[in-house]
Parts: sequence; C-alpha cells; structure tokens
Amino acid sequence: MVLVDIRETKSVKAADIFLQVRPGKDFELITILRAMIKDQPISETQIAETGLTMEQLQDFVSRMKAARFGVMFFGMGLSMTRGKHMNSAALLTLAAEMNAFTKFVAMPMRGHGNVTGADVIMRSQTGYPFGISFNRGYPRYNPGEFSTVDVLVRGDTDCAFIIGADPGATMPQPAIDHLARIPTIVLDPHVTHTSRLSRVHITTAPAGISAPGTAYRMDEIPLPLHPALESPYPSDEEVVRRINETLMKKPDWMGERPQILQTQI
Amino acid sequence: MEMKVIDHATCTFCGCVCDDIQLHADETRIHQAKKACVLGKAWFLNHTAERKYPDALIDGKEATVDEAIEAASEYLYQADMPLVYGMSNTTCEAQRQCVALADNLGALLDSHTSL
Ligand code: SF4
Repeated sequence: MVLVDIRETKSVKAADIFLQVRPGKDFELITILRAMIKDQPISETQIAETGLTMEQLQDFVSRMKAARFGVMFFGMGLSMTRGKHMNSAALLTLAAEMNAFTKFVAMPMRGHGNVTGADVIMRSQTGYPFGISFNRGYPRYNPGEFSTVDVLVRGDTDCAFIIGADPGATMPQPAIDHLARIPTIVLDPHVTHTSRLSRVHITTAPAGISAPGTAYRMDEIPLPLHPALESPYPSDEEVVRRINETLMKKPDWMGERPQILQTQI
Repeated sequence: MEMKVIDHATCTFCGCVCDDIQLHADETRIHQAKKACVLGKAWFLNHTAERKYPDALIDGKEATVDEAIEAASEYLYQADMPLVYGMSNTTCEAQRQCVALADNLGALLDSHTSL
C-alpha cells in the first residue's frame, strides 16, 4: 500500500510506502505520473516542485505497473484543495491510462453512509451523478456551476431542500449565511445546525435504524437495510413522496409539467 | 424485557456499509451491535425509538407533519431556483423521490459528492 498525503497521518502506520507531497501540488504530481508511465521526459526540477524525488516516483511507477489489479482510493484532500475537480479528473485519467499496462481502477473514499447510492440513483435517473440542473426541463450537468457550495456562495438559489445532510455544520460560512437568508427546508432524524437556521424542519426516522430501504456500499453493491427499532417518525421516503403529491396538485407555472422522467418513478 | 436479535443488520454510518452486524435490541433501544467498529457501535447505540424531537418545526415553533409538508411544498413551489441537496444519510428509495422532486420543480439537484 502506497499512501500519498501532505502530512504524516495515522494511516502511515498501515502503509508500506509513504509519499509526502507538497500541499497544493496534487495535480502536478498526477500529471508527472501520467507522463512517467508513458516514458515521457520529466525534469528533476518539475519533480522537485512536488516535494518528491525521481527515485521515489520511478519506484512508484514500476510498482503500479507490476501490480495485477491496482486500486486508487481518493478522498476530499484531493477533491477539495487547489485544483478541485480537475484533480479528481486527472486521477481518473491516470487510472484509465494505467489500463494500458495492467488492471487499475479509481474509487472515491466515502464518508457519509449512502452517498454512493445518491450517485447511482442520480446516474440511473438523469444520466449524471451530481451537480445537476433541471431548470430547462431536462437534466444538465456542470460541477462548479450547479454544485451546491458554488450555488450557495454565489447566492443563485432562492429555496433549499436539505435531506440527510447538515451543510450548516460543514459548509463555508458564506454558503451557510445564504441558507439562513432563503427559506430552507430540512429533513433529518435530529434537529441539526441546518435545522436551526431553517424555516421548516421535519423529523424523520433514521435509515437503517428504524427506516427500511436500500443503501449502496462504496464499491456500488446495493445492500438491504434491516431496521431494529420502530420509529414514531415517518421515513424520508414517505415525507418526500407526500411533498411531491402536494406539489402535483398545484397548477404548473409552465402550463404543463416539464417532468420528463415520468416512467422511472 | 424481551430482546430481539437481528443478524446481518446493515450499518450505514460510513461508506463501508458493513452488512454483517448482529444487533440486540428491545422496544426502545439497541443494546449491542456485535461486529461493528467503534463508529458503528456508537451510531447504533445512540439512536432510540423515543420521541426526542418535535415532529416538525416551522420557524422554530412546533408543528405537525401535515402543516410542515404543506409549508415546505409552498416554499418550493414559490421559488424560482430551488435546490435539492444532500441525500447521503438516507435510503435509495428516498433518493428516487428526491430526483422526482427536483425534476418536478425544475430545480438544482446535488449530493455530498460535489464536495
Ligand atoms: S460498522 Fe464501522 S466500518 Fe462498518 S459501516 Fe459502520 S461505521 Fe463503517
């Protein structure tokens, strides 16, 4: 196991090799690796910029090529620092290019329970995994434009529906300020930070503890939930379905419902 | 009190979604979560079937679920550019409803993945 990080974390103990990359140089490192696997010339100064040495990287590349099935796990340290989704895109390209030599895949490390499920469901229903806009009546995808932090920081949205998340505790302050300014609706088993700044909060049964359903594991295996308790609260599914039903009764602002995914629900 | 044992319960606290947890539960709480890690144990044991929070809040005041659903629908209906966000700590069934909601509203739809 090779660990790449900007500092020595607890995972270093579990790793065979630790590569300490200079903060903000992920994109450079990945691009250099992409060049090296194809034997393209790289100068010592370019490598020195990443905080690593030619020997370290040559060793790393030969190990990658010698592997029979390699997996690159990546987390928010890559996708939320300088370069953002360009870093993730570069890593995915590296994984794809490694397949010229051996089997390689890249997999995001997931913190929250069923984020993978959200990806899979949005992908199957809209064709895109996240950062989607339906405002033209059909799904469009553009992270950076339609991704939540950007939308909130710019103040583009005038109503927020938050389910199974607590952006009030995790997002940058300008985003939180905007959530407090607009009508925010929260569905959560707890009264969260976001609930406190919302106009409407609805308590729901926690998934997997008292609400049944399906959750996807990080490697996209769907697993059934086996709730152990009864809950006095309705499930998320029930509440969102009832909101949908209520909305369906209202006259549509476009004269005709723009919904195009009717057959899938 | 009678203890219920659930084999192969699924933990959704983190992305690993372990599906081999054995839960020992009575009516109101889970007493043991065997084979779960420290985080999973804490997650299972911290939830109860008690009514800890009000059913719903509108502008910080207690309300019924019906009133809250009505208020939420009205806010969403009135908005020009609503946003549907999150969907991590919930089930795929609820996520499908969220996609339908965003589609109906002509809304923005996004999850934790964009972070
Ligand atoms: S038991 Fe631990 S590792 Fe497994 S899903 Fe729960 S929190 Fe994650």
